[in-house]
Amino acid sequence: MVKAELVKQSPLRILDASTRGGLGKGNLGVLTARHGLGKRSAMVHLAVDRLLQGKGVIHITFSSRVQHVLDYYEEIFTEISKMKSLEKAFEVYEELVAHRMVMNFEQKTDVQHILESVKARLGEKTFAVDTVIVDEFNFALTKKEELEAFQSFAKSIGVELWFSVSLKDEGAASLQPVPLVLLPYEYFFSVMINLRAHREDGKVHLEMIKDHASKPQDTHLVLDAKTLLILKD
Amino acid sequence: MKIPVDKMRNIGISAHIDSGKTTLTERILFYCGRIHAIHEVKGKDGVGATMDSMELERERGITIQSAATSVQWRDKYINIIDTPGHVDFTIEVERSLRVLDGAILVLCSVAGVQSQSITVDRQMKRYDVPRLAFINKADRTGANPFRVREQLKEKLGHNAVFVTLPIGLEDKFEGIIDLVEMQAVYFEGEDGLDVQRRAIPADLEAQAKQYREMMLEELAMFDDELMELHLEGKEPTVELIKKTIRKGTLSRELTPVFVGSAYKNKGVQVLLDGVSDYLPAPNEKPNFALDTRKNEEKVQLVVEDDKPTVALAFKLDDGQYGQLTYVRIYQGVVKKGMELRNMRSQRRFKIGRLVKMHANHMEDIEDAGAGDICALFGIECASGDTFVDDSLSLTMMSMYVPAAVISLAIEPVDKKSGDNMAKALGRFTKEDPTFRTFVDPESNQTIIQGMGELHLEVYIERMKREYKAEVKTGMPQVAYREAISERAEFNYTHKKQTGGSGQYGRVAGFIEPLEEKDYEFVDMVKGGVIPNEFIPSCDKGFQEAVKKGTLIGFPIVGVRVTINDGQYHPVDSSDMAFQAAAIGAFREVYMKAKPIILEPIMKVVLEGPTEFQGNMFGSINQRRGVILSSTEDGQFCKIEAEVPLSEMFGYSTVLRSMSQGKSEFTMEFLKYAKVPTSVSDQLRKEYEEKRKALQR
Repeated sequence: MVKAELVKQSPLRILDASTRGGLGKGNLGVLTARHGLGKRSAMVHLAVDRLLQGKGVIHITFSSRVQHVLDYYEEIFTEISKMKSLEKAFEVYEELVAHRMVMNFEQKTDVQHILESVKARLGEKTFAVDTVIVDEFNFALTKKEELEAFQSFAKSIGVELWFSVSLKDEGAASLQPVPLVLLPYEYFFSVMINLRAHREDGKVHLEMIKDHASKPQDTHLVLDAKTLLILKD
Repeated sequence: MKIPVDKMRNIGISAHIDSGKTTLTERILFYCGRIHAIHEVKGKDGVGATMDSMELERERGITIQSAATSVQWRDKYINIIDTPGHVDFTIEVERSLRVLDGAILVLCSVAGVQSQSITVDRQMKRYDVPRLAFINKADRTGANPFRVREQLKEKLGHNAVFVTLPIGLEDKFEGIIDLVEMQAVYFEGEDGLDVQRRAIPADLEAQAKQYREMMLEELAMFDDELMELHLEGKEPTVELIKKTIRKGTLSRELTPVFVGSAYKNKGVQVLLDGVSDYLPAPNEKPNFALDTRKNEEKVQLVVEDDKPTVALAFKLDDGQYGQLTYVRIYQGVVKKGMELRNMRSQRRFKIGRLVKMHANHMEDIEDAGAGDICALFGIECASGDTFVDDSLSLTMMSMYVPAAVISLAIEPVDKKSGDNMAKALGRFTKEDPTFRTFVDPESNQTIIQGMGELHLEVYIERMKREYKAEVKTGMPQVAYREAISERAEFNYTHKKQTGGSGQYGRVAGFIEPLEEKDYEFVDMVKGGVIPNEFIPSCDKGFQEAVKKGTLIGFPIVGVRVTINDGQYHPVDSSDMAFQAAAIGAFREVYMKAKPIILEPIMKVVLEGPTEFQGNMFGSINQRRGVILSSTEDGQFCKIEAEVPLSEMFGYSTVLRSMSQGKSEFTMEFLKYAKVPTSVSDQLRKEYEEKRKALQR
């Protein structure tokens, strides 16, 4: 299979269709899950999908193990290319890496500072970015102003900005669609997706909690436990 | 005088450039009473630190050459091997690490664990060297030893445990708390010579107790007695704590952390106590040699004076009295007048003069015992040679020598310089196995090869200063490779009939890209169409052909040649004829296989203040680099990238000027990768022009 075909057949197109073209430039989206369900894999799959479309991705992480994040990309890419027998996989990967950058910050770093560093990377149009991922952002410690800064950044640069969030045990609140920690900021997000393990089939499903202004539909997507890829259910 | 082996310490001081290693070494020498005034690295008095013996090093304010110095601290005799901090000179670091039993890893309180610290630490791990960490510069603005200790744990994976704590930090740094003795230690008087131990200041008592508790908890893992006392809530004795720290350190599962400021004369004496208390004596670390009589079987050496001698020449130096050879004695003794054999050259030699070195002064000695380090005069040898007693056939294990990535053509300006250059090159190749030299048969130019631009620059400088050899240098040359990208078939006949016996041979088959190896030859000829005796001739011919590609004249790698058909002539076929046929066949088929040019890609790590990060990013982009990641840590950022070596020439100057000298970079070879078409076209054009020029 060639690259273009791979992009067309990606299960993430289902997500694009249900969200009418995806998250969209200038918008914020969030992927939530309880610890250990495969949030980072899902996020990286989404990033690799963007990269395969020739788009630029900046992945912001607060984990001190940068190599670990880089390894995730290689792993997810290898799984996708194996599954779809991608031609010249090695060359495709080399090309894709040039459009990706992982930026690592200390957890307590000021959002304004993070955004300045991202802008420094963009420089005088030397690096084009379409998607920014903020991995494991701590919403429990954030303020409204910080999310406003992210939002105005996304709009001014014209990027889609995804957050991933780890959920603690939310008790009875877990019955509510929007996780407790995100409730005060719900209005910032255009798309919200939750990864949840279903008891009935033992699979981890991608549940749409919020889809722009429309009623969220079933995505029919699951995160495969073996390959850690997002697949059609 | 022979020193009892348990009183000996062979240690190295390894660090990132500018973490204050030379200053620390200077202070150690001073406190051990061997030098009488303290000189700063970039001293206003123009004298410079004692360990920086070379003029060039003084000028640059960095240490390039390692030198071995013997000092005495209380009842211990310490040999200090000063190791260079720049990655271009890592072979020196590696060679020093080979002869060390323990090391001090110096870290800066402000900059913390930097990329070079990671490289040096990896090397120490490879040679199983137990370490102490010294977090220096606690007096600097932004000093945070606690963060550095976290980095030691996280980035280097050390079980780093504070054994001293700072009293105050930055301009309020006054002294240290000794967590073993639970005392405050102040360094008073001129040059901090007067060490005063007092009660811990009340405001720091709680913190000291907390960190002592953390220390004891870690130590409990290494000693049952200590663990029991700890569980029962009883205080272990100072002796037991020290013994346990030593046990943990020797097992390399514990890194005691000391804090101080060498520049402000604080904490160095306590670190020296740490060296004598916690780092191993030569007989506490196993060392092995290879027995050449028994198929290089591994033999453990015994650090005893009455055993036959085994010593390793780990460093050569050109002094005013001739060649000085630094040796580490692994077994037996080295005595004046004694005869030893060089295992490489198998030559016997007599030891005329034996000295102990202090950077620029020396002390004549009669003998040196097992485990010790000393220097010999007038021995003809190369770095890395093993000297043994005549009854033995042992050689110390070969040291890991990385491949050279850069070459440079040099040409002497006049005849005198030419003679001197030859002398200098002879010396340098003996001193440094990563420095190579040869004469290019085509251009007749002398080529030098090494680990990086700075590496070669230093040798060019040394030629000028030490050997009065003025040389002109060409552009640095990258070691390119050629490769094929497609399978292609050949069918080639070599035929020559010009009187006498003719030449005839036909070979047919195909070539294809091969990933795992540089070259492979497959014989699939059936029915004897090429007689068996000529098959090796074909192989030889193809091997000859891949030595030099026709794109830009570099070796061809990753090619499998398969022959499956051919023809011979009962009279005119010969070894020569089939070799020629193979060469001809390869030349013919090569272009059909869509050849490409490969270039070395370096893993580059940039470090500097975040305010310059935009410039740093931009400079990598301009150099066809791919940025993999950036890591911000307080005011510092680290950028990891992959950049073609050919784009990195002169980068140190560029980086310095764009960051007010505050950023730096390291690089090492990563892989070979295809060059983009535009670069490939340019390289081919240059090669064509060079060839034409040579033909004229």
